[in-house]
Amino acid sequence: MLIINDLSKFIRGKKILNSVSLSVEAGSIALLMGRSGVGKSTLLRVLAGLETADSGTALLDGAPISLDGKSRSDAVGMVFQHFNLFDLMTVLENITFPLIKGSGYSQAAAEKRAHTLLTQFELEEFAQRYPGQLSGGQKQRLAIARALAQQPRIICMDEPTSALDPLLAHAVASQIQQLAHEGYHVVVASHDTKLIEALTGKLYLMEDGAIAESCDSEEFRLNRSRFWKISEFLRKDHTTAA
Amino acid sequence: MIDFSLILQALPTLLRGLIVSLEIAFGALCIGMIGGTILGIGQSLGSPLVRAIIGIYAAIIRGTPMLIQIVFLYYLVSVTGIGLSPFATAVIAIGLNSSAYVSQIMRAGILAVPRGQREAAKTLGISSRDTILYIMLPHAVRVVLPALGNESVTLVKDSSLASLIGVMELYKEGQVVISLTYDALSTYCAIAALYLLVTTTLSFAVYRLEIFLNRHAHH
Repeated sequence: MLIINDLSKFIRGKKILNSVSLSVEAGSIALLMGRSGVGKSTLLRVLAGLETADSGTALLDGAPISLDGKSRSDAVGMVFQHFNLFDLMTVLENITFPLIKGSGYSQAAAEKRAHTLLTQFELEEFAQRYPGQLSGGQKQRLAIARALAQQPRIICMDEPTSALDPLLAHAVASQIQQLAHEGYHVVVASHDTKLIEALTGKLYLMEDGAIAESCDSEEFRLNRSRFWKISEFLRKDHTTAA
Repeated sequence: MIDFSLILQALPTLLRGLIVSLEIAFGALCIGMIGGTILGIGQSLGSPLVRAIIGIYAAIIRGTPMLIQIVFLYYLVSVTGIGLSPFATAVIAIGLNSSAYVSQIMRAGILAVPRGQREAAKTLGISSRDTILYIMLPHAVRVVLPALGNESVTLVKDSSLASLIGVMELYKEGQVVISLTYDALSTYCAIAALYLLVTTTLSFAVYRLEIFLNRHAHH
């Protein structure tokens, strides 16, 4: 189980994360929602080792997630909002390069692992193309495949639908749900209410760097009025989208 | 006005000088590119102290004429008794000068690499060294290739300053031709044409390289 306990983070004197605590079981999804700038992405960046928390802990099965780069990448895989694929490398190299340079795989072992993932994510036929030659959906599948290549136990996804056609939101939800079924600890930050409504997991509404309200998605669907902050957030955003 | 038969007669001498000019430019280019890239990395990713030292170096080099730098190094070599030929002295002086300009070009290129590329590499456990070598530099070079191309063209032209310390490069050989023929106009026309031929070829080669390196771009 991933347990984040009392995590705080200041940036230029401003409290971006304010004593955030949450837990994610293996095979389940934590959905961080909230408006832009409430700290969702910062929380993911702390988990992924891109930012350092000023206080608090992140424990995976009772052990702190190491700050060391390689150990961190073995524990946490990150799917960025804009994918951050390596533009000058082919689809295949986007997966093999981190495996070779980051995890010490041999070329042959890295290619074998990459081809397995490319097949799984229906990208095998694009193996020799460059990210710039892929569609948005294909880029995202590649970003997920790359994050999974090193077999991390936690997958962080930052605004997974924001750079995609709205019609793809359902497909993305299926992919995320599938990751949870495969046993990953999945942490998703999003303000896409369609995506949030389509996923099953634990909902966390963030406001001003803190968790303002949380509940299970099933619990929420049965009794929306009980969780009025989350309900209000989802309703307001639906109104805006409409 | 322009005596083409004289130019034809003088061509072997001028070509001999051109080869020396190209050798100076190539040597200086190697020093400038390698040194400038290392300095550029240091100035964009190094500690504040490293950045400051490189900044001062670049300011001194860029703020003084190359002519003075060549002559200064030539006399420094003479005074200290280091056994460097005028040719090697010219290559080093022009190369060091180029490294200061290349460092600023590379710095701009490195800063232009999207932050996400570096962040992705970090989350994937790729070391800083491999991130710079395999991810950031290839990106940066593509961005600054036109500027680096200009720098290499400039180096070919700047190689003529080596004549000041007696290196028999194209300009110096031209002066020998003039002293024998008294036809400065024809000789300088021939020298200018040879420089133009080299710099145009170089510019075209850089342009083709740019197209080749950007073959992966969005379609």
